[in-house]
Order: sequence, then C-alpha cells, then structure tokens
Amino acid sequence: MNRKNFLFLACGVGLLSGCHKADDGAAPVLGGEVKSRGLIGVSLLTLDNPFFKVIGDTISAEGGKLGYQTVVVSGDRDVAKQGNQIKDFIVKKVSAIVLSPCDSKSIIPVIQEANAAGIPVFTVDIPCHEPGVTIVTQVATDNYGGGKEAGRAMIEALGEAGGKIAILHLKQAESCLLRVKGFREVIAEHNAGGKGMVEIVTELESGGAKDLGYKAAEDAVQAHGDLRGIFAINDPAALGARAALEKAGKAEQIRIVGFDGQPEGKLAIKEGRIYADPIQFPDKMGAQIVEAIVKHSKGESLPAQILIPTSLYRQADAMKDASLQ
Amino acid sequence: MKIFLQKAAAHYGMIGVLLLLCVFFSAVTYSDQSPAGAAGAAQVAAEVGGMGGAPQVLLVSSAQPGDAAFAAALARELPGRGARVVAAVSGEPQAAREALRQLVADGVRLDAIACTQTAGAWLLFADLAADFPELGRPRLVTPRSYRWPNFLKTENLLNIANQIAVIAIMAIGMTLVIVTGGIDLSVGSLLALAAVLVARLIRDYAGGVAATAWGMGLAGMAAVAACGVAGAFSGVMVTRFRIPPFIVTLAMMLVASGMAFILAEGQSIYQLPDGFIWLGRGASFGGVPNAVVLMVVLYGLAHVGMSRMSAGRYLYAVGGNREAARLAGVPLTGVLLGAYTVSGLLAGVGGVIMASQLKSGSATYGNMYELYVIAAVVVGGTSLSGGEGKMSGTLIGAFTIAVIQNGMNLTNVESYTQKVVLGLVILGAVMLDKMRQAR
Repeated sequence: MNRKNFLFLACGVGLLSGCHKADDGAAPVLGGEVKSRGLIGVSLLTLDNPFFKVIGDTISAEGGKLGYQTVVVSGDRDVAKQGNQIKDFIVKKVSAIVLSPCDSKSIIPVIQEANAAGIPVFTVDIPCHEPGVTIVTQVATDNYGGGKEAGRAMIEALGEAGGKIAILHLKQAESCLLRVKGFREVIAEHNAGGKGMVEIVTELESGGAKDLGYKAAEDAVQAHGDLRGIFAINDPAALGARAALEKAGKAEQIRIVGFDGQPEGKLAIKEGRIYADPIQFPDKMGAQIVEAIVKHSKGESLPAQILIPTSLYRQADAMKDASLQ
Repeated sequence: MKIFLQKAAAHYGMIGVLLLLCVFFSAVTYSDQSPAGAAGAAQVAAEVGGMGGAPQVLLVSSAQPGDAAFAAALARELPGRGARVVAAVSGEPQAAREALRQLVADGVRLDAIACTQTAGAWLLFADLAADFPELGRPRLVTPRSYRWPNFLKTENLLNIANQIAVIAIMAIGMTLVIVTGGIDLSVGSLLALAAVLVARLIRDYAGGVAATAWGMGLAGMAAVAACGVAGAFSGVMVTRFRIPPFIVTLAMMLVASGMAFILAEGQSIYQLPDGFIWLGRGASFGGVPNAVVLMVVLYGLAHVGMSRMSAGRYLYAVGGNREAARLAGVPLTGVLLGAYTVSGLLAGVGGVIMASQLKSGSATYGNMYELYVIAAVVVGGTSLSGGEGKMSGTLIGAFTIAVIQNGMNLTNVESYTQKVVLGLVILGAVMLDKMRQAR
C-alpha cells in the first residue's frame, strides 16, 4: 500500500498521466493458488484514534491473507464526507463495505444505496440499528460487560472505605451509554451489600477528549473536595482528568478508572496514573469483520451482532506487557 | 485562430488542468467491467448453449441493479438452446447455498451455474467441489468482462457532479465576495445552520414525517432566508462599521455554528418525510440529479449577472479600486451588502441540499467547507486581492477538487495521503495557471 501511495503522490504532484497503473478490480493470481477475491471498502469514523487505525490495519492484513484487497478511508467524523466515500465504493462495485458510521441517523440513505446496489454492508464499533437498512452483521466491543468490569475495578480501587465518585460521560455515544449502564449496575449491586458504600455524586460531559475531560474533572474536584474516584468512559477523558488532578494536587486522593486500553492509556496504567482499564481488542474486531465477510460470501448464516468481550487491565498486566517495554 | 486559442488558454487554463486530471484518472481506473442485464445474459446463454448435450443449469443473480433483467433474459433464452434451468436464485449468497442444498437433497446433478459476475465471485462457488461433491463438477459461467475506466462510467460522472453541487453552489456566493476583495468564512457554519433549521422546521411545524411538499418548500425557504439575514448582517458590519471581513465572518462562523448546535440540541434531526430527499438525491430531469440541475441554473444566472449586468460590473469595480469606484458613483454599500447577502443565501441553499441528501440535519455538517469553497474559487482563477475572477472558472475549480477527491477514492488512496495530494494539487494547479498567465 505504501509504495502505491508514494507512486500515486509522485504522479499527482506531477499531474502527469499514465505513469502508474493502480490495479483494482482485475483478478490476478497471487502466488499460485490464491485468486483475488475482490475489494473491501472500509470507511471508519476517524483514523486519528489508534483504536480505529488498528481495526483498519487488521482488516487489511487479515483480508490480504485471504486474497482480498482493501481500501481504508477515514470519514473524519463528517457524515457527508463518509457518504461520498461510500458512494465511490458503490461505483467501484466493491465486494463488501465495512463502516463505522459518523452519524447513525444521517448515514441511513447512503446505506440504503449500498443495499440497493446489492453490496453487503458490515458495521464495526458503532452500530446502525435503524429501520429500512440491511446490515449483515455488527461487530463491537461488549460495552455493557466492559462497564461492569469498570465498576468492579472502581470498587476494588476504593477498597473498604468506599467514597464519592464522578463519571465523565460522552452521552451522544451509544457505546458509552452502555458502559455507564453496566458501571452503575455493578455499583448499585455493591451498595446493596451495605459495606464500603460507593456514591456516584456527579455525571459530567467529557466529550471523550482530553481537553474537555480536563475541564470536567477540574469542576468535579471543585464541587466535591472529598471525591475519591473518577470513571472516565475512554482513555483520552481519563488522561485529561488525571492532568487536572495533578494540577489540583489531588492525584493521590482520587483513583481513575478508564476504558479502551490505547497505548497511551496502557502506559499511564503502568505508571500508576490510571488505576485500571477494561481494554478493547480492535485487532480481534478487525479479524472478526474479515471472518464475517468470508462467511457471508460463502452463504453461511451470521448473527446480527458479534460482541467482543473486554478484559480488565491493571498495573500488574502493564508490567508484563511486551508492547510497553 | 491562433490568437483565439492563446486567449482561451490564458482565460481557461484551469480547464486544461481539469482535463489532464480526467485523463489521468481514466487511465488509472481502467479496469474490468461486467456487462449487466440482457447483454450479459446473451453471452452466458451462448456459452451454456455451446456446452452441448442438455445441460442442467442453476441460475444465480445478486441483488444489483440490472441483475433482475439478466435473470429474466437468461430464463427466457436458455430453454431455446437446449439447456434446462433446474433452479433460479436471486439475492444473497445464503439463498444460493440453500438452493444448492435443495438440489443435493433432490439428487440433481448440475452441469453449469450461470451467474452474474458479482455472484460468480462469491466464495461459495470457489469451494463448491469440496462442499457439494454430490452436484458433480458444474462449470461456472459468467459474462465476459470488458475494460472501461471506472472513472468514466456515467454513474460516476453524475456522482462527481452530485458530490460537488453543494460546494459549487456556495462557491458562487464566495466568488462574488472575493471579487469585491472580501472573504466569507461563515459559509460552512451557515450551511450547518440551514440544515438544522430546515430539519427542525419540518419536524416541529410542518408535520414531521407527514409533511407536505408545500410545508417542506416553505421550511427550506425560511432556512435559506435566515442564512441570507446572517449574510446581510455580516455585510452591514463590513460596510457600516468598517470591520475587516475576515473578522466579521469569523465571528459569524462561530455564532452560526453555536446556534446550529443549540437548535439541534447536539443531535441529528431525522424525523423527515421520504419526499424530502427529492432535492438532494432525486433525478427528475432525465437522470441528472436535481441538485446538479439547480447548480447549473444558478451558475447560468450568476454568469449572466456577472458579465452582462451592471451589478456584476460594480462588483469588479469595487474589488479593483474601491476609491475609484466610489468616485465614479458605484453604490459601494449596496454592492458589498448584496455580495455578503447572496453568499449567505447560497450557503443556506447548500445546507438545505445537504440536509436533503442525508435526510437529516446536524450541526456537524459543513465543517471546513469554507476552506474547500475558497479553494474552489481560487483554483478557478479568482484573485484573492479582488477585482478579478469568473463564474465559469469557479465551476471548473470546484470540479477540479471533486475530480481529485473522487479519483483518489476510486484508486484506493488512503485518507492521509489524500489530504497531502489534494493540498499539493491545489497548489500546483494555481501555480500552473499563474505561470501560463505570466507568459
């Protein structure tokens, strides 16, 4: 891919024609037996988040092993741009479209166009459960289960004393609603036991980003001086919150539980700046998508949703993690 | 003749760049296409007929447009050539697998599977011998492919026009403003505001999903008018208070974007009737999308206005030398006010079209669009210092950007590289144009 891009770049800059043939659609025989199975068009929410980058890279790698070519583009959170990308996929007659919608509602007409063109559509991470669209299958993290794990981690972090905690939310994301739902259920269950009560005193909007997470945590600390824990719905928000706590001198008093397990988040766990993360497995999600595409093409039946469980990642796990050495 | 050509080259140098880009993308997207419909069916029927004997055939088509015609034509033609259609499937691979299972259960032997090229690529058929040995060794017959550039397919060319319609329409207003020596940074946010406004008006006041065409039309006009008012407000700030256009429209960009988010309550508004997509995705005029028709009409009007009417002359005069224009009696305030108002109105039109294309309104639309619009205008040969520029140039500039974006999507260039290439090509195109003009 890189070489092709480079060549393309050279051609584009020179505005010269015919210097390179970008091969698509043709069916060359690759290394003996494996024939090209066609092209998978992938349009992800964004590629500046490593989570989606890993999904895209895994689809390319796994698809490549099976003889699929892939093109991975970023919707840049702009649903109109993503719509254009999908329309271009349809013109190219790709064998499958993989999508994480920038907006589950606004993307509907575009998915309907793909449906009408007879191209199977798969969603990854962000679902589109709307009437009138046909999605072959949805691959996502088990966010509800992950939220429960986060709840257990929080209880463990606070220990017997319990205490007040805040949630840094991202309410427009369905995945985050599920995470907080699971989290709240575990906390409520724990409180029913009557020991080491954990009280959720506030739920603030964090935008799932460092800057807004920073502000939200600052406000939470101002409002509740005796806060003992923060659950942030993703790593950027958790890292933003940690920065605010360090500035306010409350880093020792307040424990943070994040979500995701991005490299930066994992490093923070290793350094003890975040207590623990339920981590997601974008690589497994990418591999599942490719498997689903193959199964669909073979005419096998698929469930409407494939959930990938999270796993809790603490400091001890980070110490052993080869990717952080 | 030679002088004419030189003149044309000087005026329309960008059209050469656009054509070069088209040639380039046609060359690199030259690839296999499968004949659809009856033409493909005739080929397949001939090939199956040539197999001799009385072949038993399974007919498979996917759900693509033209596949129904393919299946119908084959079902009609095959018996005449001595073949027997034992089953016909259309749709998903799963349906085909079911049909194969059924054939095995019935103890049927297959001699051929006649299918469209898409269906022929299903992995189901690749593993046929292993999964269904009972069927014998059927031959997979698909239409022979021919070669033609993906880029030059009619549907793709219409696709490009439809994708750029919004930016091209907004670029008309931007050209007016830039010709006067100003700039309008607020158009992207005004687009979002118009999209949210039209969606909310339809949802809350025109009856939501049951809204009538009249209701939708009025809501659309109200949204466009609101953006016109915002544009006029910018114009007043520029003329009456002499605040630089960059600052005024930067402020308007923030105000409009914030208002769009407030009105949309941070969500997308989607409770709209199905008929609402007529403007953005319908094609009532011989297959040409309505948004493209609207774009062409608006460009026609703008071209006449700019080159044949006094208002257009005034714009150039104001942009060329403001003091001289004032002394010559050009109504400065009116001209500037008009330019910003039209820019606002057209941003509103863009917003309504985008809401219609996506059948929803959201405050996140139009992010960075002001820059693409400005790029289209500048690539089209309009000078940022004012007094110079053509509507036809702007249209060419808009298409240049659209062709680059579409072409890169068609040639599997990934997103990061796309941005680099787009930036460099915009720069290169303008540079080429300048060099040609200097000669």
